[in-house]
Amino acid sequence: MSETKNLKTVVRYELLKQVRRRRFYGALGITLFAILLTMGLYQGLNLPERMGLPAQLLERYDAEIFAMFVTSLSSLAVLGAVFFAGDSIASEFEQRTGYILFPNPVRRSTIVMGKYLACLIATAAIIAAAYLTSAIGLALFYGRIPSGIVGSMAIALILGAMVISLAFLFSSLLKGSVGSTIGTLLTYMVVFATISTFLSYAGYDPWFMPDRAADAMSATYGISLEEMMSGTYGGGRWVSGLLRASQDPVLSFFVLAAYACVFLVLSVVITNRREMV
Amino acid sequence: MSERYSIRMERLTKYYNGFLALSDFSLDVEKNRTIALLGPNGAGKTTLMKILCGLIMPTSGRATICGFDVVSERESAVSSVGAIINNPEFYPYLTPDEMLRYLGRLRGMDEKRTGGRIDQVLSMVGLEGWKNVRTEKFSMGMKQRLALAQALLHDPKVLILDEPSLGLDPRGMMEFRQIIKKLKGKKTVFLATHLISEVVQVCELVAIIDRGKLKAFDSIGGLKRRYRTLERAYLKLTEAIL
Repeated sequence: MSETKNLKTVVRYELLKQVRRRRFYGALGITLFAILLTMGLYQGLNLPERMGLPAQLLERYDAEIFAMFVTSLSSLAVLGAVFFAGDSIASEFEQRTGYILFPNPVRRSTIVMGKYLACLIATAAIIAAAYLTSAIGLALFYGRIPSGIVGSMAIALILGAMVISLAFLFSSLLKGSVGSTIGTLLTYMVVFATISTFLSYAGYDPWFMPDRAADAMSATYGISLEEMMSGTYGGGRWVSGLLRASQDPVLSFFVLAAYACVFLVLSVVITNRREMV
Repeated sequence: MSERYSIRMERLTKYYNGFLALSDFSLDVEKNRTIALLGPNGAGKTTLMKILCGLIMPTSGRATICGFDVVSERESAVSSVGAIINNPEFYPYLTPDEMLRYLGRLRGMDEKRTGGRIDQVLSMVGLEGWKNVRTEKFSMGMKQRLALAQALLHDPKVLILDEPSLGLDPRGMMEFRQIIKKLKGKKTVFLATHLISEVVQVCELVAIIDRGKLKAFDSIGGLKRRYRTLERAYLKLTEAIL
């Protein structure tokens, strides 16, 4: 049997696993709830005015600014990816299901790739639902959908691919599913963020860090964050977290893609060598 | 030569972080014979079975199944094998029907053939009434029955069974032994166990292993002639006190 057919089989049954687990619906529910809540608070509190955003900017970019706030929450879907992917490989060893799966005439690399694609499809489904909700909100409130939403979704998808690769790397290295999930979250949310922050303090632009590249999700709407924040909360560069959105989206896409490839290749190599002891 | 032997093991040695689990183990298993690998806990039985199924790599030595090297030609080697290793678990979110369809596809079976074969093997192991129930509700014995069903699914030439009756109730054990008896002369069965009664009932030849080393390989009759009973042979060769 060809490896392509084997790959399709693994994807099909791994996808079945994802959609039968509560965590898929949990991640979907939390993401959609967070987006709807943000929409409600943004509109209900009249946030742009209260923030003191420049009137000229608001006139030109009302929908884009709303989209920036709302679609940045799609990163929640990406965190959901960690919970789909964290146990993908580790559980085969921890739960002993590998004794049934691995002694089959199929390469381990095909199994890993199949699992990876299934996680990616599940994550992409949640990201798509999140962006669809955001697009409906934009159409309802502003009568138009900014073209930047497409680029933002592309960054969200590649960020999802990167996070899944990172989770696969931990999952191939560690014995337990919980350890690999926590390891992924800590690396993505603490280790990467700490390195980026210290590089920033030291005067370097950490454009090559995954967390910084992920911020490009809000930078596809063509708004200068420096301009946007100039009149808010006293203005200035102290709003360093938001200034990150000035990250170049194209460059960020490739940075995330490179990390995704490296982590995935490493997880395939490690899983191939790992023994079912 | 490769026609005569289904499984060949040549000087297999396996270390786990410095611990010697298998030492210079050589054994040839003739085609369509039922052979027991008998040994106490920790003797190296499971290590040997795992090497044959490509789950772990030998530190040195070589093993082939139907002429294919289990390391360099792993996929070809395991395509002739149906295995139960180390009390396996199943995906709790799948039913036996779904699980067996998944494995059938990975083993190159077409959809039509798989459907009929699933009914056949589930009926053989007494799980026909549980075909569409998720395995999360299964007891250990039921999982072991399903493990046997998946091992038989693609009608493999070689069965590698590691403690297959573990967790089975007396009826399950009897039924399992009946299935293996029916396969006599049709398939190569390599059965790791520490149950002497099981060996006597289903096997023709016995390989006794202790501390990773092959201590004896003979027919049950041959061992009885030398040691009076199989129990005495086992106790003598595994250095237990008589």
